[in-house]
Amino acid sequence: MMGTTALTTLAGTATVPQFISLATKDVFKLAPAIALFPLASFFISLFLGKRMPKGGALAGIAATIASLALSVWLVIELAIGGGTYQETLYTFVGGASDSAVVEHTGVELTFGLLIDPLAALMLVIVSLISLLVHLFSLGYMNDEGETGLPRYYAGLGLFTFSMLAFVYSDNLLMAFVFFELVGVCSYLLIGFWFREDAPPSAAKKAFLITRFGDYFFLIGVVAIFATFGTTAFAGENSFVTMAADGLNPDVAAEGIDTPGVSEDTWFTVLGLLVLGGVVGKSAQFPLHTWLPDAMEGPTPVSALIHAATMVAAGVYLVARMYGFFALLPTVLAVIALIGGFTALFAATMALVKQELKQVLAYSTISQYGYMMLALGGGGYVAGVFHLTTHAIFKALLFLGAGSVIIAMHHNENMWEMGGLKDRMPVTYATFLAGSLALAGIFPFAGFWSKDEVLFETLAHGLGGSPILLIAYGFGALAVVLTGLYTFRMVFLTFHGEPRTDTAEDPETVGWSVKLPLVVLGVLSVVGGVLNMGVLKDIIGESNLFLHEWLDGATMDTDLGALSASHYSEVLEADYGAGYEVTDLSPLGPGVVALVFAVVGVGAAWYLYSGADPEPKMTRLGRVRTVLLRNYYQDEYQAWLATGLTLPFSRIADKFDRGLIDGIVNGIGTVSMVVGRQFRQIQTGVVTNYAALLAFSLLLLLFAFGFVGGWF
Amino acid sequence: MIVEAVLAVTLTGALLVAVGPDRYAAKLATVVSVLPLAGSLWMWTEYAGEGNALLESGEVAFQTTVEWLTLGQYTLQWYVGVDGISLPLLVLTTVLTTLALVSSWTPIDERQSQFYGLMLLLETALIGVFVSLDFFLWFVFWEGVLIPMYFLIAVWGGPRRKYAAIKFLVYTNIASLIMFAGLFALIFGLGDSITTLSLPEITQAVLADELGSFAGLEPDTLKMFAFFLLFLGFAVKVPLVPFHTWLPDAHVEAPTPVSVMLAGVLLKMGTYALLRFNFTMLPDVAADYALLIAAFGVVSVIYGAVLALAQRDMKRIVAYSSISSMGYVIIGLIAYTPHGLGGATFQMISHGLISGLLFMTVGVIYNATHTRMVGDMSGLANRMPWTVGIFITGAFGYMGLPLMSGFAAEVLVFIGAFQTSVVPAAPLLTALSMFGIVIVAGYLLWAMQQTLFGSFELETDYEIGPAPIHDVASIGVLLGLVVLLGVAPDLIYETIQDGVNPLVDFAGAALTGGA
Repeated sequence: MMGTTALTTLAGTATVPQFISLATKDVFKLAPAIALFPLASFFISLFLGKRMPKGGALAGIAATIASLALSVWLVIELAIGGGTYQETLYTFVGGASDSAVVEHTGVELTFGLLIDPLAALMLVIVSLISLLVHLFSLGYMNDEGETGLPRYYAGLGLFTFSMLAFVYSDNLLMAFVFFELVGVCSYLLIGFWFREDAPPSAAKKAFLITRFGDYFFLIGVVAIFATFGTTAFAGENSFVTMAADGLNPDVAAEGIDTPGVSEDTWFTVLGLLVLGGVVGKSAQFPLHTWLPDAMEGPTPVSALIHAATMVAAGVYLVARMYGFFALLPTVLAVIALIGGFTALFAATMALVKQELKQVLAYSTISQYGYMMLALGGGGYVAGVFHLTTHAIFKALLFLGAGSVIIAMHHNENMWEMGGLKDRMPVTYATFLAGSLALAGIFPFAGFWSKDEVLFETLAHGLGGSPILLIAYGFGALAVVLTGLYTFRMVFLTFHGEPRTDTAEDPETVGWSVKLPLVVLGVLSVVGGVLNMGVLKDIIGESNLFLHEWLDGATMDTDLGALSASHYSEVLEADYGAGYEVTDLSPLGPGVVALVFAVVGVGAAWYLYSGADPEPKMTRLGRVRTVLLRNYYQDEYQAWLATGLTLPFSRIADKFDRGLIDGIVNGIGTVSMVVGRQFRQIQTGVVTNYAALLAFSLLLLLFAFGFVGGWF
Repeated sequence: MIVEAVLAVTLTGALLVAVGPDRYAAKLATVVSVLPLAGSLWMWTEYAGEGNALLESGEVAFQTTVEWLTLGQYTLQWYVGVDGISLPLLVLTTVLTTLALVSSWTPIDERQSQFYGLMLLLETALIGVFVSLDFFLWFVFWEGVLIPMYFLIAVWGGPRRKYAAIKFLVYTNIASLIMFAGLFALIFGLGDSITTLSLPEITQAVLADELGSFAGLEPDTLKMFAFFLLFLGFAVKVPLVPFHTWLPDAHVEAPTPVSVMLAGVLLKMGTYALLRFNFTMLPDVAADYALLIAAFGVVSVIYGAVLALAQRDMKRIVAYSSISSMGYVIIGLIAYTPHGLGGATFQMISHGLISGLLFMTVGVIYNATHTRMVGDMSGLANRMPWTVGIFITGAFGYMGLPLMSGFAAEVLVFIGAFQTSVVPAAPLLTALSMFGIVIVAGYLLWAMQQTLFGSFELETDYEIGPAPIHDVASIGVLLGLVVLLGVAPDLIYETIQDGVNPLVDFAGAALTGGA
């Protein structure tokens, strides 16, 4: 209808009767409310939470229910044949009529919405997880008698608002704005228990490290704006389209301003700069160190951060501007390599952790590595798919861990648990479902998505990209480790005999804890239906629902430059990444990955399934120490901050006070001393003055004579 | 006449408060300061000026010109008025003064009438600096700022107040002298082509190449010489590294409300004057030395931030970070792009509000704890939840958190600076200066973690509780303004753009070869 831009406007719907129009496309008009509801709950909880029952939780729950309902409505709207929707809502800079800014720069800085299948899917995920986290918090925070609940729920509200707004941002500047706000919210929530020492420190670390990544991201935003004059994600005049035109020799491109280097070099620089923010937020090597520390926050917050908000933001950003990254083979290779390496690297550390949440933290880093691997390896759909399934099973695992932590009176050490499966059957069953999904066991959700990640990388790697093959190797190896650490965790926590009195008689948990677990548990079992890519040859491509969804196949209008098939074209184009696809059946690699996962789980069963399991990783000796100390990553980063930067700043301070200020004071002292000396001339004796005058005159004569050349 | 009314009412108020009894000084001064505040806000709503006051097409708003006296060939004038650059700074001055006065209620407990009188005198002079369009008049106000400031630091300051006050006075006074010489080099060089000392006339004459030789210096050399002297003079005020060492001392010794005025408004006099004199009158010289000037900016940003890392005194932290923030202004100004000049001016306003906010909050904490040292206390969030909440939000504002004014200002500066063709290697220099946003997060987060969080620890023989409502209210209002300008920068950015754009057209186009 609208050609490749695939943007529909709402013009013309005014004639439709109100109730019908509401039932059709006017849901887009309500879309801003998806983010604004949680924002309202932030204010309500913060200022009125004290006087409300449940400390403001109800406002948050109501808001997220409303957001979820609207998001689902959007999905339905797109599924039954709507079109993508883009609208500028607010002009940040240059909004006045006959604006002086626009007159001179020709550009406004705006905030707007971009709702396409990707954004709609993510909106549902975020609002769903947020709702369940709110519900769970009733059991985890309220029932446990925490103080500061209004602050807690206000934080959750602001967090959800920021993430939702980030998800449907229609340009990179707005995305950056909410990307940063997401970071602040996680600072506030990780440091929720500010009276203790560890949480504020962890919060600081999280913000600082992600800020370091965001530094590069902000340069990227500014540079992209300077290069293209826009930061829009979609449409004819988006930087994504302009970049593609700039690289495509068949298209005449205008308005691209590169600072004296070739376009593909400069675009690669831009891509790498934006990637800095992604690596920070999505906790990829080497900026992953903040994430395990972030476990100091309340467990429901961990669930939110890991599954749907903070960490997801990075990977989502890559997916959001995938049309840009798909042009840049170097950047894609870097993404894949970072992703594959991080997947393996984090999995090794997860093997030796003793705290339940620590295992989950490293598994999060590892799983986001898989998503990066997929996106770098040319598997856009696979990356989004794994983002989706991971959101579900990781939220489930964290909430399950939260349930265990309630039961264990906030003891997180797995070696002091054991035998919980008979004592908390609902938690066990759901946690098991989540674990099977995480390990990638058929037919749980994670199996389908992880296989697709590996398959896509392998297929593109065999097409002639050795780097992708290396990254695939990392990813495949990590599958074994994932099975091992996941089931080590399950066996130690739930199986065997209780190893402590608390484990013998754990506290019971209420419905507000169990309900979210059940919802997520069911989704973890069936979530794979979305995209059973491994069986592509059997069930047919048209039954890969997520693929069809991201391709815009259900919509009336062409999804155009935002569709998965367009991304594939760009990936394979000469001016793009130049990937080549081999004709490989997904079945073989799928079986391989499943075998790897089963090996991992089997190893865990062999090592830890007894009634009274022993620590087996101690046999690793020194290696275990290195793993426990996280390869000394924290040490060197802490050293960079306190061992290098701080002493350097102290030296600079000494220099400043000693030398620079010393000169200033020195000049002051000299002039005072000189002044004192000159004061002695003023003797009041006339003959002295006369002598001085005569002497000065002589001196002057002499000087003039010297300069004037009389001698 | 509104400008005269504002000045008169502030000056009269200052005298009244100074001779009145101590008991009523605080409240009376606060009430008096509402009048210029209202006046400036009225000017804001009624503003109908256009363009840049110093350039040819500019239409100055609320203008008055009265011939005053004749000095040789020159007629000195009472010439006042505002444009899109000075008006926001005028409003900043009146807003900050009122809030600073409120924040004086708690800490100032001796010689109140003199203190509040001097504060209002300071306000009068500051307003004068921003509204004057005649050089002589402007210089009178410029120097007039120093007198109340000197006494405010020397009388109500900390233990080393005498040293800090003298250092401030001597340093900035010598700078004024150098700057004065610089401008007079221009004035004498212009010879007969000007008949008044009005800034627009001087500017337009210089820009029209009417500069002759003076004292054996060719016009081009003279320009360079004048630029150099002016730059040096104003760099002390900004302050730019390495002329900054008076600032931390002055801040540490000054009482909180004076620090608020110092960081909030006085530093902006330097950048305002740089914009008005160096960058408007002598754009070609600025462009010739663009790399050097930008380097000054970058060094100030990074060096100031690195020094802030090493400090324990929270006031020193904010003082050094002010040096860092003012570096961004220089980087923006030298870019000569709409967002560069506009963002730099926006940064002046934004930094005025945010640094004022942080100084005030540190002051509120100091009122309760009698220490500002990181490490002397911890866990303040337990006792002063709202103050600490505002502190945290304000600190994030200082770090350039989006939707607060600092982000809008910095991102505009970055965009403007990145794109410029005036400065060589602009993208690289801009990217380098942006690293300031990481360091600022480092020292503020560290200071917050140490003082605000953890269990409450501070040895006092009295109970520390929530701050008085008027203290919380004044920092709350400032925070509100910071957020307001962060969400809707257009509120002032349009006016600023209107003021700087003629400069971009005139100078920028000439410098970048008519692009």
